[in-house]
Formats: sequence, C-alpha cells, structure tokens
Amino acid sequence: MTVAKLSITNLQAGYGDVQVLWDISLEVNPGEIVCLIGSNGAGKSTLLRCISGLVAATSGHVVVDGKDMTNASEAGVVSAGIAHVPEGRRLFSAMSVHDNLLMGAYLRKDKAQIAEDLDLVYSMFPVLAERRRQDAGTMSGGEQQMCAIGRGLMARPSLLLIDELSLGLAPRAVELLFERLRQINKGGVAILLVEQDVMDALALADRAYVVNRGRVSMSGESKVLAADPAIQEAFMGLA
Amino acid sequence: MIYFQILANGLMLGALYACIAVGFSLVWGVLNVINILHGTFIVLGSYIAFFAFRFAGIHPFVSVFIAGFVLFLMGYAIQSAMINRVIAAPVLITLTLTFGIDLVLNNAMLVAFSADYRKINLPSPLPSFEVASIFLPGDRVAAMGLALLLTILLYFLLRATNVGRAIIAVRMDREAAALMGVDVKRVNAITFGIGALMAGATGALISVIYPISPLNSSAFLGKAFVVCVLGGLGSVPGALVGGLMLGVLESFGGFWFGPEHAVTLSFGLLLILLFARPGGLLGKRGYE
Ligand SMILES: Nc1ncnc2c1ncn2[C@@H]1O[C@H](COP(=O)(O)OP(=O)(O)OP(=O)(O)O)[C@@H](O)[C@H]1O
Ligand SMILES: [Mg+2]
Repeated sequence: MTVAKLSITNLQAGYGDVQVLWDISLEVNPGEIVCLIGSNGAGKSTLLRCISGLVAATSGHVVVDGKDMTNASEAGVVSAGIAHVPEGRRLFSAMSVHDNLLMGAYLRKDKAQIAEDLDLVYSMFPVLAERRRQDAGTMSGGEQQMCAIGRGLMARPSLLLIDELSLGLAPRAVELLFERLRQINKGGVAILLVEQDVMDALALADRAYVVNRGRVSMSGESKVLAADPAIQEAFMGLA
Repeated sequence: MIYFQILANGLMLGALYACIAVGFSLVWGVLNVINILHGTFIVLGSYIAFFAFRFAGIHPFVSVFIAGFVLFLMGYAIQSAMINRVIAAPVLITLTLTFGIDLVLNNAMLVAFSADYRKINLPSPLPSFEVASIFLPGDRVAAMGLALLLTILLYFLLRATNVGRAIIAVRMDREAAALMGVDVKRVNAITFGIGALMAGATGALISVIYPISPLNSSAFLGKAFVVCVLGGLGSVPGALVGGLMLGVLESFGGFWFGPEHAVTLSFGLLLILLFARPGGLLGKRGYE
C-alpha cells in the first residue's frame, strides 16, 4: 500500500467564530486527479486554503507524504511539494509574466533546474513565452490562468491544488487548460481540482468528492458519480 | 545665467530630498505604514556620522555605509518586535505606534545629545569647481552623486533580486506571496529595515552639509511626505522625480520670494496637488 500524497482526516476550520468545514476526510494518492465539487459557499476554497496554510485548522489532521503538516506554514507546505493555484488566479498583476513565474520558484535554490522548468512552462504555454516581458495583469483571463498554473508548476510540486480552473474563461481556453492538466498529470503530478463545470471535471478526474455545506456528502470514482442521478440533478441540470 | 545656478542648486538639493523620501515611500507603499519615525532615523544617521568623525576620524561619506547598516538592524528589530503585531490593523493604528516610538527615540536623543546644533567641519573639504560659470561646491556634488547612487541601488535591489521581487510581491498581494512560500512577516521586517537604512545613509550624507540636531526630524519627515505626494507612493522613480522637483521648486521659490518662503511654497504646492492629482504625478500602483 502506497502512502497517500495528501491525507486529511476529520478536518474542521473556519473564519473567526464561523465554522465552515465540518469533519472533512479526503485523500489524494500520488499521480491521481481528484476533483471537488459542490455548490457556491460549500467550503471548497476554504478547504484548499486550509491545506496550504492560509486558514488555520481548529481540529483534525492534514498529513502530507505520511508527515503531519496540520497548520504548517505556507512555505512548509510548498516545500512539501504542494502548490496552490488560487481562486481568481491572484497573479502579481504589475509584474512581468517572467517574474511571476520566478516567484513560483521562490523557495528553490537549484538555478539550473529552475531555468529548465521555465523552458518547460514556456513550451507548454507558448503564449506565455511571447508575453514574458508583459505585465501579467494585462493578459486575457485564459492567459492569466495559464500563467497561474505555470507559476504553480515552477515550485516543482508533486500535488497541484487548483481552485476554479474555468471560471469566466472562453471555452477554447478551457479546453486547452484541461488538455494541459492531463499532460501535467502524465508527468506524475497529482491534481486536486475545484471546478464549476462538473461534467468536464468528472471526465478528467479519477475520483471525486462532493462537498455540501462544509461536509463531504458523497465520494467515489468519477465514472460512478457521473452516472449518479442525484449528482446529475444537482450539478448537471439533468433530471 | 543665474537661472542655471539656481537650477543646479535645486538639483543638488533635490537628489538629497529623493534620498530622504525613497525609504519612507517604500515603507508606506509596501507595508501601508506611515512611518513617523523616518525623520528621527535620518537624524540618527547624522549623529552616527558625527561621532564616527569626531572619535575615529571617519569621513561621513564612509559613515554612509555604517549608518545604513546600523539603521537597517534597528528598523528590522522595530518591525519584528512591534509593528508586525499590528500590521493588519488600520493605518491609523500603525501611524500612532510609530508616532509613539518616535516620541521615545527623539526625546532620548535630546537627552543624550542635547538640542544644540552641531556641525562636522571637514579639515579638507573637496575642492569646489565651476562649469560654464556655475559654481559647484565639491562636497555637495559628491553628496548628490552618492544620493543618486543609493537610490539607483535600491531600484535594482527591488527589480533584480529575489528579496526585491518578494517585497514587490508582498506589496501587490500578500496572500498570493505567502502561497509562493514568502515569509511575509520577515519581508515586512526587511522592508522596514531598508526604509531605515536609506534614512540612516541619507542622514550621514546630509551631515556634511547641514547642522545636526534632533529638532530637524520633523522637517525631514515633512519633506518625505511632500515628495511622496509629488511622485506617488512606493515607487523609486517616483521618489526621484518628486525629490528633484521639490528641490528645484524650493530653489527657484527661494530666489524669487526669499528663502524664508521656500517651505511655504512647497506645502502650498502639496495642497494644490492633493486636490488635483491625489495619486501623485507618477502615481501608478505598480512595480517599482
Ligand atoms: N475571509 C472570509 N471570512 C469570513 N467568511 C468567509 C471568508 N471566506 C469565505 N467565507 C465563508 O465561508 C464559506 C465557504 O466559502 P468558500 O469560499 O470556501 O466556498 P466555495 O465552496 O469555495 O464557494 P465558491 O464556489 O463560491 O467559490 C462561505 O459561507 C463564505 O461566506
Ligand atoms: Mg471558492
């Protein structure tokens, strides 16, 4: 039995007095694609933020590669191989694309490898190479999302957390991004994806969890969930 | 021809103003802290130069680096120990905190050094010279050159180093910076330290030209404030342009209306600008 890349047990968290996450348990294995689905305000972003250290857990455990990382610092989580592509992309908007990518490698010291990874990101998203000197904030939404994912990859993660991949983007950009996620995953990077477009997300992922008002209400193989009438009704507008 | 002389005087003064303001501007822009301590940091830098000269014969231009280093450590410590605790609070809270620390520090200087004005009398000042019948005092020209050099160094530190990028990243989005693994509290302390470093270094530069007293601190703070409004917050080129403008303006103002009105003029301009361009002349929430 392999050790899970990320294993969360009975996690509770919130903002001040308001508890958002209740007893969340979830696992991501090495090289796996897992998606999180749930309606607005369910707590998906909060869960990702709790994993990466932005929100404190009030109880429960976050274990990375068998090591307890509950309430570790953001830097600790990045060093443990987890990069977070946040909701809304959160690029450094008046910095160049190139500098944004370099920020992704902030904790790394291996200069030669960083240069290699830059080339890799640029070949994966050629449009970023064309715009490397341009301010990140002046690009289209799709290009910005590519930059955000590239920035995440620059940390050399073994697990990529992605929050709202397709929100507000043109269909062609979304198609390309999904294609790239497949490619990234083939390279051995596990992905935990939060995505509004449930059909596409389930088609991409190996497994999925449904989050409902801060609790995991359902989980399983994506194929099985995609065929579940309750899911179809709730998220795909089918009855 | 007299106008060229006034312009030259203004530029020499303006380079010092830029240097006075650039650290203040950085701290305000990145940390959203209006650092009332800034003027006192400058005076402290002057005293370091003064005592280094008196007791060890060290030239103030060499003390620029000593004062910068000492003030960096001091700024770093003040941010880590005190300001970081309330950094998320509204700007009025941090302003009050730096105001309080300033009262303590400035009064400690009054007790330790007295309010008397002191002057460094260099035994062998740099020779003055004339270019196209513009009179240029050697020490002032050297001070201007060093001030410009320090400002440019800061620009490259922010633009081309890892630490600099982290500072800019924190300025733009502290949460996103944290997600990159940036230790935001440490970057806060480094930023405040750099602000203090620039103040201390400028203080040492100024000690060659102006008399030194703790009473000067509020005048320095006022200049820093005006330059920031002129040039826009948190931008090195902005501080440079703002500083040079203020220097030239005061120089011409002093010539036309008498030197006693130079300050009135600069604050009058400040008021007009606050109405007309609240973001500063180069005001862009941007990179530098
Ligand atoms: N910074 C915050 N302070 C207080 N409450 C917050 C904060 N951020 C989120 N919340 C609350 O936490 C709950 C969960 O929010 P969260 O952003 O995690 O949901 P989500 O599943 O990501 O939703 P969406 O699909 O809209 O992105 C919501 O009720 C929200 O109002
Ligand atoms: Mg969300």
